Amino acid sequence: MTINYIMQQLVNGLALGSIYALLAIGLTMVYGILRLINFAHGDLMMLGAYVSSIFISATILPILFAVVIPTLLMALMGLIVERTAYRPLRGAPEVAMLITSLGVSRLLQNSTVLVLSPQPRAFRLPGDLTQTMNVGGIRFTQLDVLTFLLVIALMVLLTLYINRSKTGMAMRASSENLRAARLIGINVNWAIGAAFVLGSALAGTAGFLWASRYGIIDPFMGFLPGVKAFVAAVIGGIGSIRGAVAGGVILGVAEIGFVGFLPPEFSGYRDAFVFSLLLIVLLVRPNGLFGKSEVERA
Amino acid sequence: MLEIRNLSVAYGKIVAVSNLSLTVNEGEIVTVVGGNGAGKTTTLRTVSGVLKPRSGEILFKGKSMVGLSPEAIVTRGISHSPEGRMIFGRLTITENLKLGAYNRKDPSGVKSDMERMFGMFPVLEQRKSQRAGTLSGGEQQMLAIARSLMSRPNLLLLDEPSLGLAPLLVEKIFDVVVELRNEGVTILLVEQNANEALRISDRAYVLETGTVTIEGPSTELINNPMLRAAYLGLD
Repeated sequence: MTINYIMQQLVNGLALGSIYALLAIGLTMVYGILRLINFAHGDLMMLGAYVSSIFISATILPILFAVVIPTLLMALMGLIVERTAYRPLRGAPEVAMLITSLGVSRLLQNSTVLVLSPQPRAFRLPGDLTQTMNVGGIRFTQLDVLTFLLVIALMVLLTLYINRSKTGMAMRASSENLRAARLIGINVNWAIGAAFVLGSALAGTAGFLWASRYGIIDPFMGFLPGVKAFVAAVIGGIGSIRGAVAGGVILGVAEIGFVGFLPPEFSGYRDAFVFSLLLIVLLVRPNGLFGKSEVERA
Repeated sequence: MLEIRNLSVAYGKIVAVSNLSLTVNEGEIVTVVGGNGAGKTTTLRTVSGVLKPRSGEILFKGKSMVGLSPEAIVTRGISHSPEGRMIFGRLTITENLKLGAYNRKDPSGVKSDMERMFGMFPVLEQRKSQRAGTLSGGEQQMLAIARSLMSRPNLLLLDEPSLGLAPLLVEKIFDVVVELRNEGVTILLVEQNANEALRISDRAYVLETGTVTIEGPSTELINNPMLRAAYLGLD
């Protein structure tokens, strides 16, 4: 095992982890306010990938459209899902929302099957993005670099927004104590809507990145990454954006490492490994890496 | 200013407030006393629009408040400083105050009110960029009151402001309540510390199992033998 091989796995892990991180940010924001594990989040990534594929095949348009349009459309979609599926359940037991999110997930998957096709389709990036570069024996594509930079840029922008803007302040207050936020006159529906819009937009971006990375899309592609991203959010400390990014990157690197460093017969267990990691983190550090203890919440 | 008529509120099948009527006139401090579970907090939460009444009417400045959202009620001039303070511990003191003014559209007014709050509670200014969770209990209570004043309310609902505070701080909080009234804020005060509350208020209501059992001027109630035995810990 050479140092090159190790570095190679690290690069691959960072690229995958960046996508987990993008998804985890949306999950952690929504969970922070509503205590909802939004199972439909990954399916928005899937829809984003399909939207992106339309713009990829229309080669006259610059590639930028294949990133921006799904991002914007999923932002809208997130708002629609929140309004129609989750808002009517405000005040209902949390488990009602959880089950609803599973329902939304199934609805999105099967609508895609119905309207398009259950068959996977190819997602081929044109041009230079997938061209392999070789730096000191480590191979990576422009897409890997783009993914990583994009995630960092989006995280910085989002953190600034949440720390500086009035809506961001309302989101943080709602996340800490939704009842108190309502009581003192904060428009919590607005704050919740903002969390869905921002998170779903990132899921749309992730759709482009995931599809570009694997070159194939299908109606059920989103569910497992969505759940894994939730694992990442828990590892990082649910409710924390920094934590979501850190958790995503750690999970991506760990998952690739598991596949890359263990004998090939173990690679079929990569999903089991991810969820075992969750169990270990919950046992050792239940609040995650950047998590706030419940005591501090008082 | 506030008129509650025949109000009933229930949590599922459990009736917390039944057929309660209560009036607060402009410029008054009105105290509500009563034991745990008497329905005091439920009443305040219903006035703020967080709970929906089963029946009855809530009029504020002659207009019905029933069915309005909490933010609409804050905008109309009722502010609520909740039991247990419920400040946002992870946010800074300045952010907590800004959120109290969430629905206001006059940034310069908000700014000057923030200065006013810092004048009234100097300890908040000293620590304005710190997380509110680092404040002591008494300081958090002051922040909760200041936050609720940031919406420039005509009527302030104060739920258990002295709960869990040292006697010296209790004194300070009640001084603040009187000061606020002198500045023109009408106050509906819920207190376990009935003695102090009756001393500073104009009128009072005694609640038992969700309904009013005794009402009258505070000076009368302070001498009411039943009340003295049950709530004032005297005799």
